[in-house]
Amino acid sequence: MYVKSGCQASEAPERAAVRPVAAASPSLKSMNMKNSSGQERRAPSPEITVATLPRICMVSSGSEQKDSADSLLLRQIALLPPALPCMVQIREKQLDAAAMFRLCLAARQRTEGTRTLLFLNERADIAAAAGLDGVHLQESSCPPEKLGSLADGLLKGRSVHSLESARQTVQGGVDYLVFGPVFDTPSKRPYGAPQGLGQLRTVCRAVSIPVFAIGGINPDNAASCLEEGAYGIATLSLFTDTRKLPELLETLGQMLRP
Amino acid sequence: MIPSKPFLCFITDESLPPVELARQALEGGALMIQLRHKCATGAELYRWSVEIQALCRRHHAVFIVNDRVDIAIAAGADGVHLGQQDLPAAAARKLLGPDRIIGVSVSSPGEASDAQKEGADYLGFGHIFHTSSKEKPAAPVGPEAILSIRAATSLPVLAIGGITLQNAPDTLRCKASGIAVIRAISRAAKPEEAARDLVTLLQHDH
Repeated sequence: MYVKSGCQASEAPERAAVRPVAAASPSLKSMNMKNSSGQERRAPSPEITVATLPRICMVSSGSEQKDSADSLLLRQIALLPPALPCMVQIREKQLDAAAMFRLCLAARQRTEGTRTLLFLNERADIAAAAGLDGVHLQESSCPPEKLGSLADGLLKGRSVHSLESARQTVQGGVDYLVFGPVFDTPSKRPYGAPQGLGQLRTVCRAVSIPVFAIGGINPDNAASCLEEGAYGIATLSLFTDTRKLPELLETLGQMLRP
Repeated sequence: MIPSKPFLCFITDESLPPVELARQALEGGALMIQLRHKCATGAELYRWSVEIQALCRRHHAVFIVNDRVDIAIAAGADGVHLGQQDLPAAAARKLLGPDRIIGVSVSSPGEASDAQKEGADYLGFGHIFHTSSKEKPAAPVGPEAILSIRAATSLPVLAIGGITLQNAPDTLRCKASGIAVIRAISRAAKPEEAARDLVTLLQHDH
């Protein structure tokens, strides 16, 4: 398997070692749980004070209804296996801020004591208020380096769709990138034609932080993304069928073991 | 600081570029600008906020960002304005610290006293008169309703919704601390003059 030297993929500890560890992966060193005014912010998952990033990122479906009793996101979270750490990116643009905040609090409550890391799309304020682990920004979001004290206790990720954007983003200081669409997928067509594995490799070689491949990822092509230097994979559509979710995660978990 | 005498707040118009109109409102004497663009991207809101904050500094006016506490902090705004569908004021207060301003939209005395308990610094109340700025299924509350909000809290109350040069005196008579307008400025032939006329009225009617 191709692993870019100096890339997180070659240095990340075993996932089983996701615990309070002294040796943090370099990009996460800055993570601390106090904001600049010294105000204590609750560490979202107490035993993951300094963690390495999971290799699977589940993007929420975008179909959450305001304060619905049946939330696909919460059902998906309940199915995440304890042994396999996952990142969950909550991306529910249709919700107003109050409903988004309540959904984040519910998700946080359900991941208490697990290794699941919760990220909220776009809104660092709601992510911080709900005690999530991070914020996931788009190219159209507030520049990550401007978030200041608000992001002190948050990991920051950003979606990028070009090499240029990837390079600029890294300079601005984020913890990981999501790059794509690598393959064709309906949900990612608004972000342009598939970039392919070649462009994924170029981006992974150009930056020193973890890159997650997104766009049409499935168990058949996930390995090829890792071979090109991706740290992990991100997917929305693959995980919406909760009946198949446990088996899929098992398969991907085997594949993504370093 | 929230002005102690009746003041004009200009809320930016969703369908028009905000910075130039904010500048004209400030030239006309507005003492508070609220950036409210629900459909803009975070990057746009940030860029506009930095520009409007600089303009407000120059005019000794207050700059408030609607809903987005993250943008307010990133751009160094004076505060945020939160609707009932936004982040709760108590949660926003934890992020903003004690010094920044939090305004909360309320529609009843109960919501007003709740907002004060949660740490709001001022209230927006309306819609007082008929307005086409927002989709409002409910009927206008009328200016007398401001008195019930004033009775429920000690916070300044900004009257909002369909306020014009003609009906603004009614809101002051009912103890509004100020008025917030969108279209009375944004859709005026001369926005700066429209703002100035409203400010003159607020000063003399007081």
